[in-house]
Order: sequence, then C-alpha cells, then structure tokens
Amino acid sequence: MKRNPLILFFVAAIVVAMLSAGIRIARNNRTNRSTHELMGNLAPDFDLQTLDGKNLKLSGLRGKAVLLNFWATYCGPCKIEMPWFVELQNEYGPQGFQIVGVAMDDATTEDIAKFAKEMGVNYPILLGTESVGQSYGGVNALPTTFFVDRDGKIIAREFGLQSRSVFVDHIKRALSQGQSVQAQK
Amino acid sequence: MKILLASALVLLSAWASAQDEVGPQGPAVKMAPAPVVTAIQGKPATVPLSFRVTRGYHINSNQPKSEFLIPTVLKVEATTDIVIGKTTYPGGQDMSFAFAPDEKLNVYTGDFKVDVLVRPLHSVQPGKYIVRGTLKYQACDNSACYPPKQLPVSFDVKIAKAPPPPRSNPAQSPHAH
Repeated sequence: MKRNPLILFFVAAIVVAMLSAGIRIARNNRTNRSTHELMGNLAPDFDLQTLDGKNLKLSGLRGKAVLLNFWATYCGPCKIEMPWFVELQNEYGPQGFQIVGVAMDDATTEDIAKFAKEMGVNYPILLGTESVGQSYGGVNALPTTFFVDRDGKIIAREFGLQSRSVFVDHIKRALSQGQSVQAQK
Repeated sequence: MKILLASALVLLSAWASAQDEVGPQGPAVKMAPAPVVTAIQGKPATVPLSFRVTRGYHINSNQPKSEFLIPTVLKVEATTDIVIGKTTYPGGQDMSFAFAPDEKLNVYTGDFKVDVLVRPLHSVQPGKYIVRGTLKYQACDNSACYPPKQLPVSFDVKIAKAPPPPRSNPAQSPHAH
C-alpha cells in the first residue's frame, strides 16, 4: 500500500505537537507542584546573613506573621513593591507582622545595601542563596512573595508584581491565623 | 526512510520546544544562525550576530540607565589564530513599562544585532574556524524579572589567503644604472 506523503507529514506534525505540549505540561507541573506543595506546610527554615553581618533564622520569627519577599536589585517590579512594604511594616508591625526581604542577587553586599538604603527599607534584608531559593520552589521569577502565619505555615504566595491590596489581604489573613492567635483569644 | 524523516522531525521539534521555553523557567533570547564571514589573513572583518528577544519580554541594552541593571554583554572567547576586536552594540529603545510608567528603561525587544570585529593573524592557515562565546542578558516581562542567563554563541570565520604583495623590481629603479 502506497502511503500519501502529505498524510505522513500530517501525522508527524500531530505527534510533534503532542510531544511538545507534553514536555511543556510536565515542566510546568514540576514547577507548580514544588511551590504548590509548600502551601499549608511549614515554611522551609533557613539561617541567612543580614546586610549588617548578623544572622536571621526564619523559625526565630515564630509567633509573628511574616511576609517573605524574594527580590533582586536588577528587578524593576520589585522596586515598585518596596515602598509599599515599608508602609505595611509600619502599619502592621505593631500587630506582630514582620517583612523579610531575601536578595537573590549577584550584586555585592555593598550594592544591595546601597539599593536598600535608597529605597528606605525598614525591614531586614537577607543575602539569599541558591539552596534557600530551591527550598522555596526555585524562585525563578522575581518578585516572589510568600505569606507565613504565626505558626510558621505558608498561607499564600504571589509571583510577579501584585497590587498593594493583594498584599494587605494576605497580611491580614496571616495575622489572624495560627495557634498563637487562638492562644491570645 | 520516511520513518527516519518523521523521527528526526519529532526530535527536532522536541529540541526546539525546549529552546523556546519561557515564563517560570526564564525568557529566551535566541540567536539566528550567523553568516559565515570571510576574512583575509591579517585583515579585519565584521561578523554580524542577530538575536531575537521572545515576544512579551525585554532585556536591558548594553547601556542601561541604572547602575543596578544588568547590561547585555557579548563575551567572545579568545582564540590563538584570530584576534577578537571591538564589539558594537545597538542603541536600545527607551521604553516605560506597566511596573514603572514614569521611568524609562533602555532595552532591547524583538530583533537586535551585535557586530564583532575579528582579525585573523597573518600566520593563520586558510580554512574555517569556529569562534565561541556567550551573550549574558537579564530579561523581564511586564510584572516579573528573571535571573541573568548566558546564551551560548558561536560563529564561523572563513579565513582566506592574503594576495601576494606586489613584487618590486630593482632593475626599474630610477637610481639603478
């Protein structure tokens, strides 16, 4: 039986399209699963150096609601969020809220410190490492922000620039959740 | 034969799909196949390298407007036979984006071209030589930025023999008697 080359080509094209789609879906699932699995679980703990040479351990903030913001000096959208974070730290800090910035940067500590100073940052900036980034799902897009409740559990995450109101909603939720809140009531 | 052809097509497409990957894995800048430039021994020649930024993304130009931004830089590996000269970058476009409407960034979008000057040594043997390097870039879209990437770059330079120098004839010298 003689096969029509056009049909063969058509079949090959369909196979190609399916394979391509499969590869894409598999890769996306791999990324989403790793970040999705973090939701509702304890935020991976870390002990990172701050800009002034001290160390900060995430689990040391247990009892507070934490906004964990992965950012970089080269990231324009990150720069938009920072003034909001300064305001939010002032507004919600007295209620037991703490913002922690993690710089995922190739820049020097001096450059990161200079940038943070220019932005008027009033919360600790930590020097991120690849392993910490991996433990939070890879952090391929910046900004990436996680919201941690008073028990240390991740209750929300956002990729890319979001509106200020999205942050406020998550912060309020993080402040109101956890055993620590129940104990206070 | 047809099965082989179809299999090759499938593999090629899967490879292309991996190259195309954008989004969480990071936006892609692709390099178009570079033309084979012929250079004569000892003479400079320009190699034009063409790149394309995936739609929806931008990368910083070679001269971004802030010290904190990462410029696009082509690094060409030194070779023993060919001297790598100046790299000429295009001027970027001044653009503002949704995340900072009041600020203009100097960026590359779509297609852009980088010229590399090469000069084969006088002593180099004629033939085809491969030159390799990397294009370092850092890309963003309208709401997020992605870590800096290094795109492998390679191009061929065909080196041709220099024409023989004109022969001097002492017998024709006006001072010869």
